[in-house]
Amino acid sequence: MKKLFALLLSVTMLFALAACGGGDGGTTSTGRTPADITAAGVLKVGVKTDVPGFGLLNTADNTYSGIEIDLANKIAEELGVDKVEFTPVTAATRGQLLDSGDIDMVAATFTINEERKLSWNFTTPYYTDAVSLLVKKDSGIEDITGLADKIIGVATGSTSMKALTDAAAEAGVTLTDANFSELATYPEIKAALDAGRVDAFCVDGSILAGYVDDTNHILETVRFSPQEYGIATKKANTEWAEYLDGLIKGWLEDGTMDQIIADNGVVASYEG
Amino acid sequence: MIQQIMEPWRWQSLLAEWPKFASAFVTTLEIAVFALALALALGVVFGLMSTSHNRLIRIIARVYVEFFQNTPLAIQVFFVFYALPYAGVALSQVTIGILCVGTYTGAYMSEAVRAGIGSIPKGQFEAAQSQGFTYIQTMMLIILPQTIKIILPPMVNQMVNLVKNTSIVTMIAGGDLMYRANAFATNGTMSYGPSYLLCGFLYFLLCFPLTTWARRYEDRLKKRDIQTAEQLEKVEEGLA
Repeated sequence: MKKLFALLLSVTMLFALAACGGGDGGTTSTGRTPADITAAGVLKVGVKTDVPGFGLLNTADNTYSGIEIDLANKIAEELGVDKVEFTPVTAATRGQLLDSGDIDMVAATFTINEERKLSWNFTTPYYTDAVSLLVKKDSGIEDITGLADKIIGVATGSTSMKALTDAAAEAGVTLTDANFSELATYPEIKAALDAGRVDAFCVDGSILAGYVDDTNHILETVRFSPQEYGIATKKANTEWAEYLDGLIKGWLEDGTMDQIIADNGVVASYEG
Repeated sequence: MIQQIMEPWRWQSLLAEWPKFASAFVTTLEIAVFALALALALGVVFGLMSTSHNRLIRIIARVYVEFFQNTPLAIQVFFVFYALPYAGVALSQVTIGILCVGTYTGAYMSEAVRAGIGSIPKGQFEAAQSQGFTYIQTMMLIILPQTIKIILPPMVNQMVNLVKNTSIVTMIAGGDLMYRANAFATNGTMSYGPSYLLCGFLYFLLCFPLTTWARRYEDRLKKRDIQTAEQLEKVEEGLA
C-alpha cells in the first residue's frame, strides 16, 4: 500500500513537471517590455479566427481582418515593428498562451471582469458589447422567461453563461448547468442550433450578428450584461500593460477607435 | 501553470465545486463501463467473424473494422451529434459516447481477437473437431482460452485507450470529467492549473488499476505455463 502511494505521488509530481515544462520559464520571467519587442522586431498577438468584424481568418488568402487585427497592426506601428505574428486563440487557450510567454498580448473579444483581473492585466476597454440571444424563428422563445426548460449553447470559457444565468434570475427563471451546453467554437454552436441540439445561442451581440440567417433571429428585447473587451497581457508585465493602456486611451479620445470600429462594419459600442 | 498550482485559494475554489467533479467522474465511468461492454462484445463477435470460412461473413467483419479504424472518432461523434438529428435520431451525449467509443474500440479489439485466433495452431481446431466439439464449443472451450494470454496486452491497451477516449464527448458538451474540468478551467477564476491536474489524476485513477491488474494476470498465466512445463518434464523424466 505504501509503495502504491509513493508511486502515485511521484506520478502526480511528474504530471506537474510535465505540465509546466512547456512554459519555457514563463512563470519566472515577467515577459517582454515594449523596448524588447521593438528590438526583436516581431509583435506576437493572440486573435480570434471566427468572429466577423473582430478577428476573422480569411482562409482563401490566409489573412486576418477585423477590429482587433487593425488594433494589433496600429500597436505594432507605434512600437516601430514591421511584423505582427498572429496566433489563433480560443476562449480556452488564450490565458495559458499569455502565461507561457508564447504571445505578448491577446486581442480576442476578451471580456474584462474582476476575476480575470486576478490572472491578467487588461487595458481600458476598446469596445463595449452586450450579450444577446439567437433563436430559431419557429422556436416560440420570445424573451428570457421562455428559457426555463431549454438548452442554451455557449462557448467554452465565455462569460455569457454567468451573465445569462444572472439576467434570468432577475426575471425569476432559474437556469442550472443542465440548461447549458458548452461547445468549443461559435460555428459549432450554430451547427448545434441548426440541428436542434440547442434551443438558443447566447453570446455577445456583435458575434451573433455574424450567424443570422433566414431561419433564425436575434431577440431584440434581450440585451443585458454589457461586455467590455480589453487587451490582455501577462500579469507580471506591468510596464507593457501600462504602455498599451496609454495607447488605447489615446485612441478612444481622438476618435481613432470609433473609426476602426466603423471601418470594420461593426455597430458602435453599447452604451447602457 | 506551476504558479497556479502553488496558489492555495485556487485549490479552495476547486474544492468548493467537488460535487460537480464527482458527478462528472461518474458520467465518465458510466460511458467507459458500457462502452467497454459493447466493445468487448463487438470485438469477440467480429473477431470470430473475421476467422470464419464463410466469405460473406468475413467481408462484413472487414468492412466494419476498416470503416471504424480508418475514420477519426471525432468525426464519428460529430456526425451522430450534428447530422443524425436531421434524420430524426437525437441521441443523448452519454448514449453517443457509449455507442461511438464502443464501436470504435470494438473494431480494434476484433483485430486483436482475430490475430489471437490466427496464432493458435490448426491442429487444435482439428483435434477439437475430431472429438465432436461444435464450433461454439471449440471456440469457447479450446481456442479462446488459449488466446487470452496472447491478446491480453493489446486488449488492455485498447481498454485504457477506451477510458481515455471517452473524453471525446467533451466536444459535444457531454458533461464528462474532461468537460467539467474544461468548464472549471475556463470560467470564473479560470484556475486551469488545479483543474487539469485533478482531471488528469482522476483519469489516471481509472486506468492505472486496469494496467496493473493486466500485468499481474499475464505474469500469473505465464508462471502457470512454466509450472506446467516443469511438471511435464518431470513426468517425462519418470517415464524415461
